[in-house]
Amino acid sequence: MISEDFASLLAAAQSGSEPAFSRLWRDANPPLLRYLRVIAPGAEEDIAAETWVQVVRGLRSFRGDEQAWRAWLFTTARRRAIDLARHRSRRPESPLDDVAVAQLPRTVDSAEVALEHLSTAAAIALVSALPRLQAEVILLRVVAGLDTESVARLLHKSPGAVRVATHRGLRRLAQRTADAGVTL
Amino acid sequence: MPNIPHSPLQDGPAVTDADLAALLAGKEDVAPGLRPAADVLAALSAEPGPGELAGEARALAEFRRRAGAPAPRHRAHGTAGLSSRLSAKVAASAAAGAVVLGGAATAAYAGVLPAPIQRFAHDAIGAPNAPSAPHSPAPGKTVAPSGQLAPHGQPAASAKPHSPGRHSSRHGQGQQGTGQGQQGTGQGQPGTGQGQPGTGQGQQGNGQGSPPGQGQPGDGQGRPGNGQGSPPGRGQPGDGQGRPGNGQGNPHAEGEHGNPHPRWQQGNPHPHAEQVPYRARHARPARHAPAMDT
Repeated sequence: MISEDFASLLAAAQSGSEPAFSRLWRDANPPLLRYLRVIAPGAEEDIAAETWVQVVRGLRSFRGDEQAWRAWLFTTARRRAIDLARHRSRRPESPLDDVAVAQLPRTVDSAEVALEHLSTAAAIALVSALPRLQAEVILLRVVAGLDTESVARLLHKSPGAVRVATHRGLRRLAQRTADAGVTL
Repeated sequence: MPNIPHSPLQDGPAVTDADLAALLAGKEDVAPGLRPAADVLAALSAEPGPGELAGEARALAEFRRRAGAPAPRHRAHGTAGLSSRLSAKVAASAAAGAVVLGGAATAAYAGVLPAPIQRFAHDAIGAPNAPSAPHSPAPGKTVAPSGQLAPHGQPAASAKPHSPGRHSSRHGQGQQGTGQGQQGTGQGQPGTGQGQPGTGQGQQGNGQGSPPGQGQPGDGQGRPGNGQGSPPGRGQPGDGQGRPGNGQGNPHAEGEHGNPHPRWQQGNPHPHAEQVPYRARHARPARHAPAMDT
């Protein structure tokens, strides 16, 4: 998070300052990729690039603080991910028989992750094993840094539903890590 | 004892909402059972790896392309908008001008423009000339472009009009009367039918009447033409004395079969039918009958 420098950086970026925009990008792109790895595994790079293209287009007209900035960024990314999922469901590109086993999406076993000690990647894999809503709310709260209300708006849920999903996801995550003796 | 399904969460660490809040906040003093989960969440927020910053150049290129040169983009946009507006105005003006000119040309060739403009159009683009004012007894209705005179306009007041073409009257008649005779310019063959005294006004025709004496005696029931009349003045007002007019009847207009007793379409050539002699009214056409022009 950029915090107190965000307003000046945003104003500079809106005026065409490349360093300012670079700072915004370097701050927001890593969590964006981590979020996309969970909701759109395998397409996070493309979706992130498309998201930034759209953000650049609307950068001048954006008004808001850092919370709103992140909410806008992740909302845009989520919409792109949904569009991509719909596109792929309509036009599957290849049958599963032609896909290598290593490329198949899979839910990583927590024990396997514990053995690998892959740090961030392992954490993302653990969160990906959670139910979709619980994984999303945890990522948006922890990775994107959004508050409950922002997450609720982004997911079109009530703040109460977001809180419930967050607690359930954390409980489940704690249980799994405790069961597996995960040490990251 | 009821068989309650075993929930796996019940085996997990007992956590409270406060513990979860501390976990989300990234605090260090979380419950011991939540330590692994805290490590996972901390790993999610770890410093970015090299792969996560690989797309910076691409994003900056997009930024430079779209937002890096804001002023020229806006100026270009404004210029494009201005050009577009100017083009639209020019196109609209050109379309309006084309419509006006086209309409004017059409009106000129139709001959419906006012006389000065029509003459100008005649000189400029070869449109039909405007008829002279004295020769237009009924402006816009009668035009005698050829200026040919009906042959039977003389003493008979009402030079019988001849319709152009196949409706030429067989027995157009120069009728006596007090009306204003008008000449026709049609092609009807002349007749010398008996003019009938009367006081009605003759009608215009555009049939070309042959000289008197060439036609056959008409019966005074010639059908009026509906064509364009010749300039007035030829058909002179009759004196109403009942003198027979030299009918302009065309027994065979344009070689067609005329109707010896065509129905009147316009006007009444016999405004005073009671004065028409029976012989004159029922005279059969005789191709070479002598003219009875008076």
